Amino acid sequence: MLETVLFSFFALTSVVCALGVVFHRNPVHCALLLVGVLLSLSGLFILLNAQFIAALQVIVYAGAIMVLFLFVLMLLNFRQDPDVLTPGAAKGFGFLFGLLVMVELLWTALSPNGGEGGGLPAAPPLPADFGSPAAIGKILYTTWLFPFEITSILLLVAVVGAVVLAKRKFA
Amino acid sequence: MNAMMPPLVAYQILAGILFTIGVVGVLVRRSALIIFMSIELMLNAVNLSFVAFSRQHGSMDGHIFVFFVMAVAAAEVAIGLAILVAIFRKKETANVDDVHLLKG
Amino acid sequence: MDLALIIEATVKVLVVLGFTCVSVILIVWMERKVLGHMQDRIGPERVGPFGILQTVADGIKLFMKEDLVPSQADKVLYFLAPALSIITALVAMTVIPWGDSFEFFGRTIMLHITDVNVAVLFLLGTTSMGVYGIVLGGWSSNSKYPLLGGLRSSAQMISYELAQGISIVPIIMMTGSLSLAEIGRAQANMWFIVPQFFAFLIYIICAVAETNRAPFDLAEAESELVAGFHTEFSSMKFALYFLSEYANMMVVSGVAITCFLGAWHGPVLPGPVWFLIKLGFFLFCYIWLRATFPRLRYDQLMSLGWKVLLPASLLNMAVTAVVLVLKG
Repeated sequence: MLETVLFSFFALTSVVCALGVVFHRNPVHCALLLVGVLLSLSGLFILLNAQFIAALQVIVYAGAIMVLFLFVLMLLNFRQDPDVLTPGAAKGFGFLFGLLVMVELLWTALSPNGGEGGGLPAAPPLPADFGSPAAIGKILYTTWLFPFEITSILLLVAVVGAVVLAKRKFA
Repeated sequence: MNAMMPPLVAYQILAGILFTIGVVGVLVRRSALIIFMSIELMLNAVNLSFVAFSRQHGSMDGHIFVFFVMAVAAAEVAIGLAILVAIFRKKETANVDDVHLLKG
Repeated sequence: MDLALIIEATVKVLVVLGFTCVSVILIVWMERKVLGHMQDRIGPERVGPFGILQTVADGIKLFMKEDLVPSQADKVLYFLAPALSIITALVAMTVIPWGDSFEFFGRTIMLHITDVNVAVLFLLGTTSMGVYGIVLGGWSSNSKYPLLGGLRSSAQMISYELAQGISIVPIIMMTGSLSLAEIGRAQANMWFIVPQFFAFLIYIICAVAETNRAPFDLAEAESELVAGFHTEFSSMKFALYFLSEYANMMVVSGVAITCFLGAWHGPVLPGPVWFLIKLGFFLFCYIWLRATFPRLRYDQLMSLGWKVLLPASLLNMAVTAVVLVLKG
């Protein structure tokens, strides 16, 4: 019962904030609404027993990436868009395509076979440390070691690239 | 405990809705920063889907995937914002329709 | 959700909230008195015995001031920013263990509001969210100096968050758990400051930088940026920022005591009393630092965080890991 209430609350908050991100005028408010989406998703992750991922979502996504967004917004002084949405026919095509994507995803989610819709057995009982940092550490450094190392190189490349791109060129 | 949880389908539908809102945001808004934020929204919808499936199958591989998606998203945001700052310095606008120098 | 649990949680929340408010009053008084004596003057001495009610008088004055809102300010964010600061500071207080558990009418009552098994990550998350209170305060004031102060302050906070988190990792490695109550219990024999002295030093420096206190208080120093991000805030909003700064000081001191200084362990007195004694000592050291050191310039501050503390904490973590593996 409590889980259903919490799920509804977090789901509603995330959808309302997501709509706000896409349709609001002021970019700083959009960034803060995106933080709202990230925090409600973090709540949903905790409902799904993913404590470490929920904490990472708050620390990395809401606490660092969105702060970076806000910095860029504030330093470059993006105050307000004159025209919020694309003018003309392109707007209609955008919404139509969005509708098609939603219909397709809902079809897949709700289909009885093939998709993971209704015909699933109950979820197996979870081990006691499911979602804990210890369990993630165990598989991250054994099964998934190679992607881990490649990701660290990727982050190094991103740091170097960001520094190079943001430097002022001295004539 | 399992019986009281919202079914997996609910999480997938929510992820689908969030993904769609992100797609609409990318297609319909003109400010480059808002397009970026909509891309982040799409990535988060996918993260939710992964974690829900991971819970359903009792395997932690979904969590690992989400971990890597977050790391790559951080790298992408850093580079994307750096590019945006560089463009903004030159052209004083964040409107993607105004960056059309390669247009034929 | 039985009634006993709800009552227990409510009582604990009220006690911690009350304690925070009272202790902020005492900390402010202590700061003014101690700074005064260190600077060879007396400090407040008229309101109440030894000036102890000075903070209450200041609070009443702040409450009665006119609540100005700049005309071009972003109204929603202007109201939200101080609230975010105080919310994150108070939420972080819920995981600090004030003492060991005790029996009360057949229930084991733990002396912390919640026992999150990823408490250290929870704390890192709330300090990350605390950055928003400052950066939004600077932005919503719609004025140059607050914006610069807010951006500088938040850049400082996110830079020192990294070294702060990494300096706690050796403690987690030694305990094998992320829960603060576990870390507190694991120090019954030896406080972790003994094997992890460098981590303690790094954590202290990062904690002072995180709370924007001297010598890292460039962003809110009167002689530098008017008053930094809280220039345009008056009356209760300023009081909330003030309150959240001191609450943050208590939180980081509480974490330092739990992780390094043996939490509630001590010879004769009960656990919470020892915790409060250590907390008082820590806050005294905060004030001592403010009286002693000159302010760091912003580029010195950032290079200290990135070029000195981050490599040092990473090296400490690597050495701890090697030693733990070799010990078996």
